[in-house]
Amino acid sequence: MTLDGVRNPRLFVWTSSLAALMLQSLPLSKMLSILWPQFFVLCVLYWSTMAPRVGDILIAFLGGLVLDVLQGTQLGQHALALSLVAYLAIRFHLMTRAKPLFEQTLLVVLILAIYEGVLWAIDGWSGLQARNWERWMHIIPGAICWPLIVGLLGRLHAPR
Amino acid sequence: MAFASGGLNRLSSREPAAGPRFVFFALLSLVLMYYDQKDGWSTQIRYGLQAAVYPIQVAVGSPRKLWRATSEFFTARNELEAQNAQLLARDQQLSIAAMRNAALEQENARLRGLNAALPPLVTRHVLADVVSADMGRLRHRLVVDQGDRVGVFRAQAAIDTGGLVGQTVRVGPFSAELMLITDPEHAVPVELVRNGLRTIAVGTGNTEELQLPFLPVNSDVKEGDLLVTSGLGGVFPSGIPVGTVIEFARDPDQILARARAKTAATLERDRQVMLLWFDANHPARPVDPKLLSELPPASVAQPAGAPQ
Repeated sequence: MTLDGVRNPRLFVWTSSLAALMLQSLPLSKMLSILWPQFFVLCVLYWSTMAPRVGDILIAFLGGLVLDVLQGTQLGQHALALSLVAYLAIRFHLMTRAKPLFEQTLLVVLILAIYEGVLWAIDGWSGLQARNWERWMHIIPGAICWPLIVGLLGRLHAPR
Repeated sequence: MAFASGGLNRLSSREPAAGPRFVFFALLSLVLMYYDQKDGWSTQIRYGLQAAVYPIQVAVGSPRKLWRATSEFFTARNELEAQNAQLLARDQQLSIAAMRNAALEQENARLRGLNAALPPLVTRHVLADVVSADMGRLRHRLVVDQGDRVGVFRAQAAIDTGGLVGQTVRVGPFSAELMLITDPEHAVPVELVRNGLRTIAVGTGNTEELQLPFLPVNSDVKEGDLLVTSGLGGVFPSGIPVGTVIEFARDPDQILARARAKTAATLERDRQVMLLWFDANHPARPVDPKLLSELPPASVAQPAGAPQ
């Protein structure tokens, strides 16, 4: 799949990533923040899978740094987790693309779990209490949102 | 997996191998994390990034601000009048209190044998708008829109109209990050106004609750006791309201009592906080922890025969 429908694919990927980053870091109430999907992670996952040449690890890394600064976490924590997400997605992009949407969603659950696991491990390493279950809840809305993201971004860049 | 590394891969895309790039970025992240943990040079990077990220913070916080502005715009006239009357009444109350306060200060100075009342403790204050709030279970942080440019420094005390809010943990050029007193990682040295009993109030992760985990069961604490900062610890000056005790449960089997306090500040609803600068020579200024560590050991400092 290419970004044929778009004049400047790189710009398109970067702006959509920025939008996802902002969506992810909206200040929300406690209850809503548990149910709020992590749009930037999904966006990185989408671009790394669908356009691995344009959706680069660099976006994931920089976005991760921004998240670290926004959320006040260890500098490099989200950057590392997101780089890993992007790498896994690029490494297996052909396999993921060939799967039907339902199986893709299962893979997304797996990768989101890896992402949260990396964050969790680094939290533990840096001495934070890591007893919150809310973190793992993010996986469910993320997985539910995956088909929506595929539908939306897919329609935007590749009219079929 | 086989086809991902085989010929198909070359056919479909000409991307550079992801492996080395990932290793590069992962190592970079690890180095950043290592130095961030040790407060090394990566704080400089964070400082720069904070400036770069500030527009995003403002943009992300704007829907909430817009919502508030709209709802304020459409507030009915009678509501505004009621609010105004309330504020006027409060203003009167406060000016009476302030009058009494001036008289009390004079009296206090006389009782202490001083010639004149002390100069004000807070020499300067800056109002800062809350740009974004992170009120998760593990972290209670606020980002405010004042930073290094107006002289905000790290570990600076912040209050609201009710009482203590927290302290700055990271300062960027245009913004600063506050750790709230309810953050589970935060602890503030406090004392009871009624009897001067000193203890430590620890955050719980609940936006209006503090824990007092180090009170023995026989300590003289009642529900409703007011807690103020004790001035120890080097960050907060003494006398800022922190909260009121709402539970004090003694379990005879335990050495320590179970005590909870409700915060004086309205942390979850704050839109503005006040950052404070102090007179460095004032007796009520925060005690520098370095000075405390230079004190002679306790056994020498205590008078002979003091009960242990």
